[in-house]
Amino acid sequence: MKQTLMGNDAIALGLIHAGIDMVSGYPGTPSSEILANFQKYKHHFKLDAYAEWATNEKVGFEVAYAGAIAGKRTCATMKQVGLNVASDALMSAAYIGLKGAMLLVSADDPGFYSSQTEQDSRSFAKFARIPVLDPATPQEAYDMVKLGTKISHLFETVVMLRPVMRVCHAREICEVDEGLSVTPLEGNFERNVPRWGAVPPAGRFRQGLEQLERIEVIKAWNWKELIAPKVAALKGEKVLFLTSGTGDGYVREAVTEQAIKADVLKLDMPYPLPKTELEALFASYAKVVVFEESYPCIEEQLSSPKLYGKLTKHAHEIDEFSKAKVMETLANVGIVKKANPYQSPKFTGELPRRAPNMCPGCPHRDVHYAITDVFKKEHAICPSDIGCYTLGLNQGAIDTILCMGGSVSMASGFAVADPKKAVVATIGDSTFTHSGVAPLINAVYQNHRFVLVILDNSTTAMTGRQTTPERSNPAQVDIKRIVEGCGVACHEYFYEPELSKTIDFVRSLKTAYEKATGPVVAVVREFCVLDKEKVEGQLGRAFVEIDQDLCVECDWCITAFKCPPMHYDENGKMAIDPFLCAGCSSCLDVICPVDAFVEKEEV
Amino acid sequence: MKYQIVIAGVGGQGAVFLVKVLSIAASLAGQKCLGTENHGMSQRGGSVSCYVKLGDFYAPAIDEGQADLLIALEATEALRNLHYLKPNAGTVIVNATSEFPEVAYKVYHTDAFSKARNKAFPIDALNVYMLGFTLAKDPNFPFTCKEIEQAITKMNPKLAEKNINVLHQAINDAKAKA
Ligand code: SF4
Ligand code: SF4
Repeated sequence: MKQTLMGNDAIALGLIHAGIDMVSGYPGTPSSEILANFQKYKHHFKLDAYAEWATNEKVGFEVAYAGAIAGKRTCATMKQVGLNVASDALMSAAYIGLKGAMLLVSADDPGFYSSQTEQDSRSFAKFARIPVLDPATPQEAYDMVKLGTKISHLFETVVMLRPVMRVCHAREICEVDEGLSVTPLEGNFERNVPRWGAVPPAGRFRQGLEQLERIEVIKAWNWKELIAPKVAALKGEKVLFLTSGTGDGYVREAVTEQAIKADVLKLDMPYPLPKTELEALFASYAKVVVFEESYPCIEEQLSSPKLYGKLTKHAHEIDEFSKAKVMETLANVGIVKKANPYQSPKFTGELPRRAPNMCPGCPHRDVHYAITDVFKKEHAICPSDIGCYTLGLNQGAIDTILCMGGSVSMASGFAVADPKKAVVATIGDSTFTHSGVAPLINAVYQNHRFVLVILDNSTTAMTGRQTTPERSNPAQVDIKRIVEGCGVACHEYFYEPELSKTIDFVRSLKTAYEKATGPVVAVVREFCVLDKEKVEGQLGRAFVEIDQDLCVECDWCITAFKCPPMHYDENGKMAIDPFLCAGCSSCLDVICPVDAFVEKEEV
Repeated sequence: MKYQIVIAGVGGQGAVFLVKVLSIAASLAGQKCLGTENHGMSQRGGSVSCYVKLGDFYAPAIDEGQADLLIALEATEALRNLHYLKPNAGTVIVNATSEFPEVAYKVYHTDAFSKARNKAFPIDALNVYMLGFTLAKDPNFPFTCKEIEQAITKMNPKLAEKNINVLHQAINDAKAKA
């Protein structure tokens, strides 16, 4: 049956058709829609399946892994940086293995479209010694979910699927199964202490040896099942291109469009590679070029003087692939003459940079503004975290960003290192439950003196508004009580669009901070303007415009508040774009030093 | 047939919607189609560019100098993405005033913002309006109005009528101007 699917949709449908009925993960672009789509299909097929967001990727991995050692087919979803969080569990699971099947989907982001780093999850698979499949298109992602589940079951190991952004968010007309043909496996944990509970060194040592043997067997399987049939179909040209994942698409298009004579061998499972067999293949070629995104995962497993790639500095080492980069590599290797056939003149005039910005009407903007207003930039350090509020960077309200939960531990570090400055950290509700709680406990017991503001809009807004623990179950999971449970009082403020009230609240935090000997913690109960359920009645007090006779072009509103509708018009005066303004009225009374913001007469 | 389209705009203008409509239209017309969307940060008012590749392609992204058509929901995003067009052969469909600069491509512009301000159509249908304008202006556009209507209906039957009205309004506006 043909269906037009986005990659993440194809993966979700693949999970259903592979008989996976336990999915756990943490949202992160570009992986987020996988679990959400699985939930959608679960309802569509009336499947009795588990599919929930975990508090972080490690938790997500462990839930799915426990399911698999109890004999079910399971899946954990995350993005590449999330895999760092889950890696602790992954490394052990890779030794121990499993009974049913488990697919670990780690979505990569070559080109850093929405990530802190570009890291290649395939290298993590290599590090953990588990097989990894690298799809190039939504169709392949669908097929490889089924293949990976099969391999996982066959070899009793976690198998990684590594789609990149251009697969997750690509759209293709895919050939998929109809209906449901597999039945879910019954979970039944069988006690086996030497296997599931092995304690170092003897038990684990044996498992380590078994892992090495297993990876040899999988190498042989990779050759026989996946690579050899493709080798048989090669044309016998003088040069060989080894590709993996999306790299393959760029190479194939460049090869056809530029009429390059070459054999292209796509490695569906880039780790573990049958080194001996592949290197034997090189004998009949003059040159072998590796095209892979983003680290030299394939290249590192092979060696030959004929081999060209990132390690030999013939291919680019960072950023997404393109056909232009394929041609550049080929020129470097001496297969084509230099000159980029893919080039059109750029527009040379000046264009405004369009940095991602918080939505008009977003409460985060007010809180950032209030913090800088009350604590003053020169006297404060403001670590922040991963989420929409990170975009407070545009307001000049943030000094550091490291990783999920990092704002809380870094606040501790700054408080110790530079006690003359006030430290005011911000973190979102989802990030706080992800990995902010442990560092808060650390700060409480060691009496680190800083202010922590938890921005609680009760959703994981940045990745598309996935539900949070507190949202799903507010009676049991409540941030205020979590904070209190960590041993410190929690100041609470219910956000109002009147900026002066938010500023007053932050002032009260400053007073508390001045007297404090440990952390001062606050939760601001907000909403996300895109969250239709919660925003009702909270926005829309008044739309605004600028009294242009009053505006003195001081730049203050646009630098310190930076609401997207604010811009300079043809006369060089501040103006509000009526299509963008959410009518939250926050900017009305406090921000402008000459009160040029006025309520709009008619809307 | 091979035809490559870049859709550019600002987060929130509905570029992704157009990718969906075009890929559904392709499947209804029995054509091969590969496209990409931008998610994440781009939701928050950043630049968004999406690709639709019709025909025999393997890589979802469009390279510079390769696109046949650029649909821009906003003028500066059009300029930012110009170099994706085939030199001397690309077509630009852009929401811009007559002040849009002279460029080395065939440009069709319409000031959709002013029209929306005058309540000619609701601003959240800007994307559909620009698609209608494309249908009227780009002679090589690989879909018929019927196919686009069917795709819009398949995507969201509830909003189909409203969207199809905007589509036709754009076509009529484009013809009236010519
Ligand atoms: S998505 Fe929600 S939380 Fe994020 S910037 Fe917009 S309003 Fe704020
Ligand atoms: S009222 Fe002011 S702060 Fe609120 S959305 Fe409009 S311009 Fe932005």
